[in-house]
Order: sequence, then C-alpha cells, then structure tokens
Amino acid sequence: MPQVYNWQLGRTMEYPYEERHPKSQFAFVFNTNRCIACQTCTMACKSTWTFGKGQEAMWWNNVETKPYGGYPQFWDIKALKLLDDAHQKAGATMGWETGKPGPSKPYGEYSGMTLFEAARQRYGPEGHQRVLGYLPTDEEWRFPNIYEDTSTAYQGGRLGISAEGASLPEHKSWFFYLQRLCNHCTYPACLAACPRKAIYKRPEDGIVLIDQERCRGYRACVEACPYKKPMYRPTTRVSEKCVACYPRIEGTDPLSEGVPMETRCMASCVGKIRMQGLVKTNPDGSWVEDRQHPLYYMVKIEKVALPLYPQFGTEPNGYYIPPRWVPRPYLRQMFGPGVDEAIDKYTAPSRELLAVMQLFRTTQKMLSRYEITQGPKVYETTVNGKPWAMYNDTVIGYDARGREAVRVTVEEPVHVRPAQYANSI
Amino acid sequence: MRARLSAAVLSALVLWASGAEAQAPLTAVRVAGAGPIVEPTASVWKQSRPVKVAMLPQTVTPPQKPDTAIKELTVRAVHNGGWVAFLIEWKDPTLSNRIVLDNFGDQVAVQLPLDPKGAVPSPMMGNAGGRVNIMQWRAAFQNDIEVGPPTVQGLYPNAWADVYPDELMSAADARPYTGALGLENPISRGVATAVLDQMAEGWGSMTVKPDQHALGRGTWRDGVWRVVITRPMVSDDVNAPRLLPGDRTVAGFAVWEGGNREVGARKAWAPWVPLVIGR
Repeated sequence: MPQVYNWQLGRTMEYPYEERHPKSQFAFVFNTNRCIACQTCTMACKSTWTFGKGQEAMWWNNVETKPYGGYPQFWDIKALKLLDDAHQKAGATMGWETGKPGPSKPYGEYSGMTLFEAARQRYGPEGHQRVLGYLPTDEEWRFPNIYEDTSTAYQGGRLGISAEGASLPEHKSWFFYLQRLCNHCTYPACLAACPRKAIYKRPEDGIVLIDQERCRGYRACVEACPYKKPMYRPTTRVSEKCVACYPRIEGTDPLSEGVPMETRCMASCVGKIRMQGLVKTNPDGSWVEDRQHPLYYMVKIEKVALPLYPQFGTEPNGYYIPPRWVPRPYLRQMFGPGVDEAIDKYTAPSRELLAVMQLFRTTQKMLSRYEITQGPKVYETTVNGKPWAMYNDTVIGYDARGREAVRVTVEEPVHVRPAQYANSI
Repeated sequence: MRARLSAAVLSALVLWASGAEAQAPLTAVRVAGAGPIVEPTASVWKQSRPVKVAMLPQTVTPPQKPDTAIKELTVRAVHNGGWVAFLIEWKDPTLSNRIVLDNFGDQVAVQLPLDPKGAVPSPMMGNAGGRVNIMQWRAAFQNDIEVGPPTVQGLYPNAWADVYPDELMSAADARPYTGALGLENPISRGVATAVLDQMAEGWGSMTVKPDQHALGRGTWRDGVWRVVITRPMVSDDVNAPRLLPGDRTVAGFAVWEGGNREVGARKAWAPWVPLVIGR
C-alpha cells in the first residue's frame, strides 16, 4: 500500500492511493469557546442543500453537545473504540511522541495506528474494508440534537449549589459545543473506501464530492468516514455529503463579485466562531508558507487551532480552538497533543492573535490576507500570573484579489444614542 | 497494477483449482415459443436440468464479507432461439426489498463473456480487455415495479416535513434537490425491469449499458427466491454477447443476501460454469 505523509501525525502512513494534492485546500477554523449552539449554521445548510425528499434526517452541518451528544449518536466513541480494540488485538498502544516537534511534525509523531493501518488486520464489524469503520443504524441519525446542553454529572452540594463555583483550568461539570461538517480531508476515508471510485477530491480546492451519477449506494463511504459525514438518501438509493457550497467557493454566486465566498454555514454564524478559507498547498501536501493568511497564521504559526481526532489519519482540514474549561485528557484525545499550547495561546492571546480573531465572521468574502495597524494600549491585567495587555489595533482583511474586504478594531466601536432618540425604534 | 496482476493470477488459480470442467455444465435447452422468457413459474423450466452452483464469499478485494449467507444456487437455462433465460433459485429466509441506510437488498446476477469464442475473461467481473456482460436482478427494483418507487412516507410512515422544493419551485429549479434522481442515476430512477444490463472490465468498472436489453422477474415464497434473468441471444448492442445454438461458453453468478448486509463487493460468487446453448 502506498505511503503518504500526514503532517498532523508527523509521519508517513498507509493510504490506498499515492499522494496527489490540490493547488489549494478548503479549510476552516472554529472557536469552540464562542459557540452558543444556536444552530443557525445547521439551518443555513439545511435550507440551502438538504430540504429535498429523502433528506429529512440529513444534516451536513450539525452542532452537538459534547461529551454525550453526537450525530449520528456516539459516532466518535464508536470509532475510538474500534481503533482501541484494533490496538489491543495487535498488542499496540496509541500514543504521541511529542519530544521533537518541527515544521513537518508540529504536534510530534503519532505512534499508534490510523484507521487505514488498523484495517489491514482484516478486522471490522462489517467485514474487511480499506478503512476500519462501522455503519451506524438508521435510528442513530434520527436525533441530531440529542443530549443538547447535557453536562457531565454535577459534583456540587446537595442543593445543586457549588460552594466553590467553577473555575479554570477545569470545570467539575462541563459540556461544550462541537460544530461539525465534512472536513474535506487530505486523505479522505470515504474516497479510500469507495469500491467504484465515485468519490473524488477536486484538484483546485480539495473539496471532496460524491459523484451522484457514479455512486451505487454501497454505503462503503458511510461506513468508512470516522466523522460520519457521508449520508445515505433512501429515495435516491445513493449517498450524499457536504459539497462545501462549491458555487460560493468558486466565486460564482452573484453576491460574491467573482471572489471566493465563505460557505453558508460559515457566513451565517451568529456567534462569530467561524472562519473559512482556501490555503495554498505544495505538491507534497504541506501548506505554502503564507504568514499573513489568517488560517495559516492560526494553524501553523500560533497553533491555536487543532485538527479533530488527528489519530484517525485522514488529515482533516477543519481546525478547532479547544474549549478552555474541559478536562485536558478528553481534549487531548479529541484534538491531539497540541491542546495545552493552544489553550495557553487562546487564554492569553498575543497582540496579533487577538487582532486576527476579530476577523471571524466580519464578511462573507473569504479572506486571503490580513494586515494590522497598531493602536493604543487600552487595557492591562494579569493572566495566569503573567502581565497581559490589550491594544486597540486595527485589522484589515483582503479578498482573493487583494482588495480590502473588511476593517475592524479590537475594541468594538460604541455608539451612544442621543437623548432625544432614547426611545426611538 | 500489482493488485490487478495478483487478481488475474488469483483468478486463474481459482479457475484451475475449482475446475470449471469439474462443474456440471449448464445447458440452455431449446424450448418452444418466442419473445422474452421472464416467468419463474413457466412450464418451460421443467425441460431444463438443474445445476447446483456452489457460492463462495468474495475475499479477494475489499470490502469483503467472509460469512456470506448463500452457499448454493440452483440454476436452469433455456432458450427459444431468440432469448436465452436463466432461472436461479436459492433459499433466503428474509425478504429484503426495502432499502434504508442499514437495510440492504437481495440481488442476483448472471455474468457472460462478451466474446463467447475468445479468451475467457477473469470470472471476477472480467479484466482489462476481457469485457463481461453482467445482468443484475434486484429485489428492490422488483418491488418498485410491483408496489412503486421508494417514497419517504413509504419508508418512514411517521415522517413529516414543512415543505419540499417541488412545492416552492418550478420543476427545473427543484431538480438539483432530487440528487441522483435528477441525474437519472440508474440505481435511483424508476425502472421498467428489475434487471440492470451492465458491463465490466474488472472491479470498480461496472457500467450500466446505454442499451438495456435484459429483462427478468423474481418471486419470493416460503423462504425461496425464484428469479429469471433473460436477454436476447443476438442484438445490435456491441456490448452484449452473441449467442447461437451450439455455442459453448461460460456463465458466472453472484448473489447478495440483503438480510446479511451483503452489498457491492460483499457478495457470494461462483467461478465460471460451462454453458452450452442447445441446438
């Protein structure tokens, strides 16, 4: 089986096809700390793409409450258990060697097996497959918002009142919202598993699509994708998945003025947690150094945003700023060994990071570059015992043609309504 | 490339080991009549000697299912000078013709080399340059014809939605929301017959032919499927075999037990069975 390089794992790994990378890659950063689970993203996607007959239970974008929620139910726990079982069967252990990080291995090196490698043991609940996976039951997709706002068990006093309250770095009772869509992986499990080669990754933007004419509804992709983002449509008898709003990405939406535009789920985000863009990639799959690209900066320079379950091995292109209050072992399992550094960076953001984070959801246009104009110091404090200062810098975002698309300051402008208009509507 | 080569080698080994010659030949006896032979209960089948075909799990290419449920098919063949037909029977305690995410359909297929007189292609869906004609009957298609195509209300009686695109838009604007149906994917669209007439040159290359000539019908009763697959012996279709009385060729078979979650490459298959077209 060909060997491919997965920079999220810091090593080569087995994949059914040779490496071949797109010119640029659809990618996104989500700030889980800010999400309020309003599901506006979910409905924006639903009302754009999946309100046809047979798509009633299909949510290409969803927001679930962790640790218990999941669409389909327990998708990640089940995938993790399969991987764990495979390791136990092989007498192997999952782990990371974090001693020697570098540009090609920012999180160190994963020493366990990926889902592709574990599948070579010819183990799996559905029979041998190219990717270790499972097919959820039909019922497991029926409750997309199950366990909404359900926290871990309360560990306070008898009356439900905690004498200590909650404090960082870890809340005793916790939940958080996980926003999910197809990760348009660099090494998609769905694509690897399809026996008909009906799934392809676009060379121009890395978007992964299911050819609706070629698919025969075997559901190998549904079984293989650990994130469970291909979905079966019983009225057409084939599988469908997130199309990354490709007309918007291509800049063919009339609103976009010919430049790439963020997807519907990104552009509709009320909580301003999302930023999406296209990152340029080298022939070897690494990201072209692009210091002033907001996604490159957050993922590669600050390393404040991390991949979801990198150990699966698909090199997902969605990155998450982890929630600060959740127990670290849980987060390390979910986002890999970069969690502690990412939370430190987010808790006391650098002057530049704070400015870049103001760009989230300020324009529908995809931002390709940012510049910062320095402003005055407006606030001083200590964070975790260290001094920290806030500057009212101005950050300017540019679209794909280099035109200014947005200009915002760190401090939100305050407008005081004149007294005579106090009660105007 | 390595996979292709090893597959070809393995196919040859399987052919040799199982011994196509050791398998009792299937003779399509000449019967009276004209036109398609589609009825599983037709009296013509009494004129044909049944042949038992042992079915093996497909374990060469992933995905695989080593514990396929159907171990044996009983096959009969007849022809009337214009159409050749196969009656395939097997025990299946579960009727699987309703397909949702975790339900799979019963299916059976007959495979014929495109060139009955040329080199025998790989029994595993042919090989590059060794094209085969695969006629696949599907219980779900049979149900589509007899009951109607799948609907949301049919599959999920309690499902309810506010509004659908075709209630808001013109048919042309609503078409993208029909997914594969709008693209006339042969798996999705309403079919006139329960048999898909296809061709292949190896795994992953199965293609529904532009000209659909195969017909068939299946009945399930008392835990037994009786399925007829028939096609014209001669046609103007360049992707169809040309079969004449006296010809000697081979036929392959595959079967899927939907109740055992068999689909695609997760199937039971049989190496080539000698096929004689009676004079």
